[in-house]
Amino acid sequence: MLLLCGTRKGLFLLHGDDTRSRWELEGPLLTGWSVYHAVRDPRDGSVQVAANNFVYGGTFQRSEDGGKTWKRSEGVGLPEDSGLKLEETWHVEPGREDGEIWLGATPGVLFRSADGGESFELVRSVLEHPTREKWQPGAGGMCCHSIQLDPSDERRMYIAISAAGAFRTDDGGESWTAQNQGVAADFFPEPDNFPEVGQCVHKLLLHPERPDRLWQQNHCGVYRSDDRGDTWERLEGNGLPSGFGFPLALDPRDPDVAYVIPEEGAENRVTPDGRLGVYRTADGGASWELSSEGLPEPAWGAVMREGFSFDAEGGVYFGTQSGSVFATTDGGGSWTELARQLPPILSVEAAWS
Amino acid sequence: MVLVVLPSLLATQAGGQGRFEVDAATVEHALQQLPVADLLFDEAGELRRLVNVYVDGKDARDLGGLHAPVGDAREVRVIAAVAGG
Repeated sequence: MLLLCGTRKGLFLLHGDDTRSRWELEGPLLTGWSVYHAVRDPRDGSVQVAANNFVYGGTFQRSEDGGKTWKRSEGVGLPEDSGLKLEETWHVEPGREDGEIWLGATPGVLFRSADGGESFELVRSVLEHPTREKWQPGAGGMCCHSIQLDPSDERRMYIAISAAGAFRTDDGGESWTAQNQGVAADFFPEPDNFPEVGQCVHKLLLHPERPDRLWQQNHCGVYRSDDRGDTWERLEGNGLPSGFGFPLALDPRDPDVAYVIPEEGAENRVTPDGRLGVYRTADGGASWELSSEGLPEPAWGAVMREGFSFDAEGGVYFGTQSGSVFATTDGGGSWTELARQLPPILSVEAAWS
Repeated sequence: MVLVVLPSLLATQAGGQGRFEVDAATVEHALQQLPVADLLFDEAGELRRLVNVYVDGKDARDLGGLHAPVGDAREVRVIAAVAGG
């Protein structure tokens, strides 16, 4: 098992044995770069990152030797006629076809590589979406942070952008429909708080075994959709202390299970009452239970939108802004700290090595 | 020929090489030949805001910016501005 932990100051790797009980820390790699997201591509084992530097801009980089050496994709940028410039890269999603990699970035843009990340081509249909003028940047910029591929339909995929909302394509990316019906945007006054677009999705995930089911942690609540995002049901209450939060995790073995890590609210972005708690539902979001055995208390932590991950066998992992990595292998029954005192953690991804 | 000197982060991105001998008429021409040109310039070809360039110790902005002649200078040095966190 490998955990890729992107931090404000480079990439750290946690190597676990098959029992997920013994872990070794490696890093920092890619020093000097803020690693917003890192994945291990299951197709070839390469490590791919969205790495940003405040002087030198946003990049996609790829390593074929476990992070010792890196190759940067040159020329990732926006066309002159857009009047926009690439700001930061946010999310890497290995694609379906050989060499296909998707890259989400600010300002609200999506790129596709067909050559394993050597080069990227802008997805024009997202740049030129007819609703773009209604999109607004969230606090992290107008980031395209979620990219989900439907395993049951090779023409269908989803993206989510803050604060533009969720979008679905059914034609391989030629066109995108806004999928925000029933999702609140409470930063607009009533009756304009359910617009077509402008919602602040913080994280969107598709259930891999039941791909018509989507979950989203939003600025304004936790939601589930059972019809590919056509309609959404708001799920908070019933045990959740707050609908506000950033990350989200699922259990690939059970589509009724989801995990969130709430924060007090948009105006006070820390754990509610100083309790670092993971909340788990096992009934599709009808009720939520606190899972905090083994987590420090009090802890005014925060977990970023990419800081939560899960493996194929029910393991769940998260990294905090205060540099700790926690894991559970018993469905949240108890948590173990795998690492501490890392730089602020921006992303965690689990991969079988 | 002029020697271009890069900070260590850029040298790492250039495969471990931090010093390049290039044949160039201007600062821009010198920097565009580097394997990290995409990190120094944005997609519009503009030098990134926090990248500073010195020609024999003088700020290139005071010498004409990107069009500053390299002439018979010995060294073009790239230094990141004091910023960040």
